[in-house]
Amino acid sequence: MSSPTLLQEVLADGGLMTLFQPIFEISSDRRTRFAVEALSRGPAGSNAERADVLFEYVRRKGKEIEVDRACTSAALKAAAATAVECAVSINVHASTLERDDRWVEFLTEACAAHGVPLTRLILEIVEQQKFWDERRFFRTLEQLRWVGVRIAVDDIGLGYSNYRLLIEIRPEFFKIDPYFVTSCANKPEACAAIESIRVLADRLGGQVIAEGIESESDVRTLGCLGIHLLQGFYLAPPQTVAREHAMCAE
Amino acid sequence: MTAAAPDNERYRMLIVEDEFTVLFALRKYFAAAGYDVDSARELEEAQALIVTNQYHVVIADLRLSGSSAAEGLEVLRFVRHHSRGTKVVILTAYGSAEIQSSARVLGAAAFLQKPAPLPEIRATVLRLLEES
Repeated sequence: MSSPTLLQEVLADGGLMTLFQPIFEISSDRRTRFAVEALSRGPAGSNAERADVLFEYVRRKGKEIEVDRACTSAALKAAAATAVECAVSINVHASTLERDDRWVEFLTEACAAHGVPLTRLILEIVEQQKFWDERRFFRTLEQLRWVGVRIAVDDIGLGYSNYRLLIEIRPEFFKIDPYFVTSCANKPEACAAIESIRVLADRLGGQVIAEGIESESDVRTLGCLGIHLLQGFYLAPPQTVAREHAMCAE
Repeated sequence: MTAAAPDNERYRMLIVEDEFTVLFALRKYFAAAGYDVDSARELEEAQALIVTNQYHVVIADLRLSGSSAAEGLEVLRFVRHHSRGTKVVILTAYGSAEIQSSARVLGAAAFLQKPAPLPEIRATVLRLLEES
């Protein structure tokens, strides 16, 4: 009998592990947990334990739908096992929203099964590419909002996360790529890009999340730019469900 | 298998091989020789690693997944496209002159017949790395 492929290992029971990284809302005198981003990792000891390898592999296999469903189920199960009460942000490929006709039905059933209200969910759209059929993508977004799910666009500033897409999606959350955020105090050009994204978010009724905070200087600079939802290793690294549970319980 | 002395520099290597026993032997041998070794058993897994890492050398079996397709040549094409400085050694038990010629045209640095002795593979790898 041949040994299982990496994809089979990923999709097997327990093949995926979920880590949570908090997104904080920071003001001059308070730091509160606004949301946690669920980050998926493949089987321990395999190449897919690294997220970049996992998702590069999955895209090359053309199995985004299957793996997005598995990651979402694992994330909801993990969220249900913690004392987390804030929003839960889950990554999903744009291609899955476009091609999985039953995504909303799947998500609704998975949330019900794990006791996580749909209104607590933020779906982070990753890896936008040219659409095959953008009507299907936007129809899925409409259905998601109708059931109470909020939408974030990831990696803004790079790739296909362009202004046209942002205007058409009108996400509730604009996640700025770490390329612009990390060490932004020393990069006036990056600050200009961040400000332009904030202005766009303000006009479209969304909020900005800055990802890639690695120092107090990043926190201060972003505060001055009017951005208060922050995520990064400096504030809290991705952590296991048990650790997240303990921190929330505190 | 004799224990190999570490080579002078720590090189990063990817081995692409679908036969578990061959992969295991190659991994153990080159790790003992001081190489940082990653491995993949399918074309897409190899591609994902090549996109996300830099390798000095890739050793690829010509036929993966027991298929008749020469997927090793796909690995070679992919490496040439993404990482021009990486040396590629193709291993095969089915080395027709035509496939060897294709591999050379595509930029394979060496083409070895299976079962090539491990010291011979290592000597070939070292020669290629020292040339670069």
